[in-house]
Amino acid sequence: MTRPPNNDNLVTFKLVVVGDGGVGKSAITIQFFQRLFVTDYDPTIEDSYIQHTEIDKQWCILDVLDTAGQEEFSAMREQYMRKGDGFLLVYSVTDKQSYENVMFFYTQILRVKDKDACPMLLVANKVDLVHLRKVTEEQGRELAHQLGIPYIETSAKDPPLNVDAAFHEVVRIIRNQPPVKLEKNRRKRRRSGKCNLL
Amino acid sequence: MAEGTRLVRVEERLKIKIGEVKNLQSRSHGSPGARDVYCVLSLDQEEIFRTTTMERTLNPFFGEEFQFEVPRKFRYLGIYVYDRDRHLKQDKIMGKVAIKREDLAAYHNKEHWFPLRPVDADSEVQGKAHLELALQSQIGYSQPKLTVRIIECSELTVKNSGYDPFATVTVNYNNGKQVLKRTKIKKKTVSPYFNETFVFEPEIIESKEKDISHYPLERGEIGEVVVGLWHASSGMGEQPAFLGEVRVTLKGLQKQPTNTTTAWYFLQPRQIKHRPNKISNSSTSPGALPGLGSLRLKIHYIADHVFPSAMYDRLRNLLLQSVNIQPITSSAVYILGEIVASKMEAAQPLVRVLVHYGQLVSVMRALASHEISKLTDPTTIFRGNTLVSKMMDEGMRLAGLHYLHSTLRPAMEQVFLEKKSCEIDPTRVKDANTIQTNLTNLKEYVQRVFTAITTSGVRCPPLMCEMFWCLRELAATHFPKNKEVRYSVISGFIFLRFFAPAILGPRLFDITTEQIDFQTNRTLTLISKTIQSLGNLVSCRGGAGSVCKEEYMECVYREFYTEKHIQAVKQFLELISTSSNSGIAKQRTSTQQEQPIVLKEGIYFLFMHTADCKKRIMIKRAQGRKRFGRKNFKQRYFRLTTQDLTYSKTKGKEPLCKIPLEEILAVEKLQEDSFKMKNMFQIIQSQRALYIQAGNCVEEKEWIDILTKICHTNSNRLEKYHPSAYVNGHWLCCKAVAEIAPGCSEVSPGVEAGLRMVLDPDRDLQRIHSLIFTNMPRLETLMNACECQAVYGANDMCIIPGGGSLIEDVPSCFKTLTALREAAYALQHEHRAYFRRLARDTKYGSKQAPIGDDNYLHLAARAGFESQLIKRAYEIDSLNQHYAETDHCYDSGFSRRIEDQRSYDETFRKRLDSGSIHRRYENENNLLRQYENNIDTIKSIQNDLSTFDHSLNNTFRTDNSEKNVNLENNRILDSSSFLTTDGITISNTLSRKFNSYDHTKILKECTVTKFKSDKTDISCNTLNDHTH
Repeated sequence: MTRPPNNDNLVTFKLVVVGDGGVGKSAITIQFFQRLFVTDYDPTIEDSYIQHTEIDKQWCILDVLDTAGQEEFSAMREQYMRKGDGFLLVYSVTDKQSYENVMFFYTQILRVKDKDACPMLLVANKVDLVHLRKVTEEQGRELAHQLGIPYIETSAKDPPLNVDAAFHEVVRIIRNQPPVKLEKNRRKRRRSGKCNLL
Repeated sequence: MAEGTRLVRVEERLKIKIGEVKNLQSRSHGSPGARDVYCVLSLDQEEIFRTTTMERTLNPFFGEEFQFEVPRKFRYLGIYVYDRDRHLKQDKIMGKVAIKREDLAAYHNKEHWFPLRPVDADSEVQGKAHLELALQSQIGYSQPKLTVRIIECSELTVKNSGYDPFATVTVNYNNGKQVLKRTKIKKKTVSPYFNETFVFEPEIIESKEKDISHYPLERGEIGEVVVGLWHASSGMGEQPAFLGEVRVTLKGLQKQPTNTTTAWYFLQPRQIKHRPNKISNSSTSPGALPGLGSLRLKIHYIADHVFPSAMYDRLRNLLLQSVNIQPITSSAVYILGEIVASKMEAAQPLVRVLVHYGQLVSVMRALASHEISKLTDPTTIFRGNTLVSKMMDEGMRLAGLHYLHSTLRPAMEQVFLEKKSCEIDPTRVKDANTIQTNLTNLKEYVQRVFTAITTSGVRCPPLMCEMFWCLRELAATHFPKNKEVRYSVISGFIFLRFFAPAILGPRLFDITTEQIDFQTNRTLTLISKTIQSLGNLVSCRGGAGSVCKEEYMECVYREFYTEKHIQAVKQFLELISTSSNSGIAKQRTSTQQEQPIVLKEGIYFLFMHTADCKKRIMIKRAQGRKRFGRKNFKQRYFRLTTQDLTYSKTKGKEPLCKIPLEEILAVEKLQEDSFKMKNMFQIIQSQRALYIQAGNCVEEKEWIDILTKICHTNSNRLEKYHPSAYVNGHWLCCKAVAEIAPGCSEVSPGVEAGLRMVLDPDRDLQRIHSLIFTNMPRLETLMNACECQAVYGANDMCIIPGGGSLIEDVPSCFKTLTALREAAYALQHEHRAYFRRLARDTKYGSKQAPIGDDNYLHLAARAGFESQLIKRAYEIDSLNQHYAETDHCYDSGFSRRIEDQRSYDETFRKRLDSGSIHRRYENENNLLRQYENNIDTIKSIQNDLSTFDHSLNNTFRTDNSEKNVNLENNRILDSSSFLTTDGITISNTLSRKFNSYDHTKILKECTVTKFKSDKTDISCNTLNDHTH
């Protein structure tokens, strides 16, 4: 492995993993950072992890926040949604409800950000459980298409599938996002907001 | 008013989340740059809540929630953004967001960025005025005589804690001349009764009054009457403060014969062009607002019209039968959870109704059993957001809030007080040496909270224990081999969904009202994480320290992953999940009765009134001549528990007085005139009465409600009481001289409450009804799916909304669906009849429905357009089905969805492909065009109708000038354009419409005229949207 260059020049990407309870957010995150698959289910309140990573030959710092899926914690969601640069919207392919709820996270992020678009990735987790699968790949892709975000299928169970790819992909989305365009959108939004409030 | 309308009560609940403010203007002087910002929530001009202050920022994040029962009628919900100023002590208002009460429903359950609007002394008004205007034509004069009588006003603003109002009448002539007259000042009242008459003769007698302009006059025609309300400032040389004004246009009415109008008018802000020259005239031209920033709000507003209990029999029976229905997926409760998009919204009223009828546990058992049976992996048991988990949550909050407070408060208060640093993450601390100290602090806090929780088992409310017991039994039956599941199923609720969120957000759970700084917040996160992990410890098969997610947390866990702690958690979980007939449970209930639970507390002004003569004299001598001066009001700390009401000098001091609940004979509002003080209520005992002033109208209502409920069962409750106080030798209300004279008014009926719990099943049933009705299309989709499945069998052709699984038992499910639908339609029929009655009985211009604020539109909408609206909603829905198949986010309500389209929601627009938008708007434009063609027909019918009431004509003319396209307009336009396309000939429809509402003809007129004037605006609006 190559050594990471001097810390000071590195860009930090704040990534946030969101999704319903029990879909495997922590499993993916821990697999990515610690190369472990946790079998015990210990619901997360809020965990953060930091790592230097090389993505597409560029070094960066990944600051990942693993969050609580239960609605009881929804009041605290906004805070990290404001700060996050990119989001992994995770659902479990064995739980249809978690698939449905992705929409709520998606809308809330855009609302908090007050933008039309934000770097996000739709993550269909637990694809190793083939016999229990309730949400097909087609349905997943359809949702991703509808939201206008990319789609990836993952499994945190050893051997992991696409776990690294998922995190790297979000960083790529953030990097490719043209910053100028966003500014324009924001202005447009404000103007239109005025119309409807009259 | 008709008997029927009186039995209906309106219950409004408002929950508002103040998210954040962004792009505030920076300070230009003083400390430049950032500001110290806080928000104030108010009903009209009365403050009811204030957020914490965020320092040194232009983009403050609040994330605060406030919810309350709406205590009174109001026009605007206002959120004011303030900049705190430490030196001048006069905080500056940065801007506001004001939402009309009628528009709140449109924002229900959605989050929005609202642009901040400028605030100045002239824009903040509230209240209404009762005026009489008479034009009398006189022989010999071409111009009529104008008589203006200012009768009274009500609910005026309090300016700088003063309220000495007077009124002015200004008559503007169309030749530019003005005549101004004013009333006397009424001291210390917000509802002054003036009853002064002003006559404006057509021939002006010159130069008698100095105020009149000196130009020789031509014959001026009266153009406009302006009645202004002012607060007479006490200070010398101070200008009177503006309180609001009413403008009535009289142009063109001079030729009419005599006519007199008496009506209530809403006070309005001063129009910009009429304002005295101040700073902002040039910069704030309307339309081009300066960028004051914007505010993100989420509003949850529910207004329920609750009918008498018997109305809900059908719905109630359906819900209560749920437990007997086999399979449970065919029961009304389960179906309700399926058709309502937000499970939380359904769970709330459901749980309350079930608790009231003692069925919660049995229904939960059936539902949970179904959910467990579908479960494949025991580790994720009840971890998603399902109906069962939401209902458990709701049940815990309902039954366990006091338990939560008494358990966590002492331990948490220490954390808030000490504010010791607990940061142990090496990447977050500046000095690595502090970690060791911080770790010690954290361990201490965690240990304290942990002990508080694990020793609280005996106090756990029986209802919660019952629920946990039932879940544990189910887990044992379904996973006989896996012993851990029995614990994890309970810890997943009590720790994960009850204690952990409360520790993390104590303000949201009323554990504290204190401001929480960033460091404490982080401490709370760390405590919450540790506690949650400890609670989950028993179900980790790997045992102590198997995997540690974050490395730095390991040292904390190591301390607590001991056999001792595991045992403590196990014992606690055992204790709270025992069935009620075991010995422990009995012991539990006995301890429970001994311990009083604090229901409400706070610091308020108190005045005591004793019938005992000696004591009164004492007060007199001690306090000076005036018995009821402000000095006699003492600040006291009040505390209401399940046993008594006490008050003391300050919190924590020995109580000065203890009133057992049985001794409270009545709790009522106290009329404002008693002490000229607002928000007062009285607690009546046999020998005396306590008069207490609450902080604001919300708190007043909360105290009266909870005291009434808790004392409702008192056998010696009074039947009559005095709504005012005994002042200067007589009761103000009935003028009786004897102090012991029996009451003169009947006490207000308490809402029937069971088990001393704050439950109102009728209200919850009404809520459930509204949910069913707004989700009717989803219910019908489910019915279609039933039919489909009956014909084709179980396959993918039958799509079920919300991605539910296939229907388990088609016939029984269909039966329940049909019954639910019928019950909903029957109830809705009652609602419609009620609103019609209400519209008939409500006179536009009466005190209940003053002129102004487009009030007539709301009345018209209520009167009957609703039914058409609903049809229209269905229509729209079928369109939606084609255009936006997966519009999940907005399925929470249909009528709301229409408004969504209006409110130009960015996300929504994005989701619909652009083509469909175009089609939609083209469609709308077509309707509009057709409507325009029919305008002529309407006009002709219009002419046949009874002649206009002049005053009304005036008012909507002024209203029209405002030209704001509000939602109601759109709605009405919607419904009528729908009618035109429906293939019904317009004349038919209109005559039908007019027949049914002939008693509200005038209203109708308003509406029709409104259409005409707003039509253009709407088409503009649509076009605008088009181009975006």
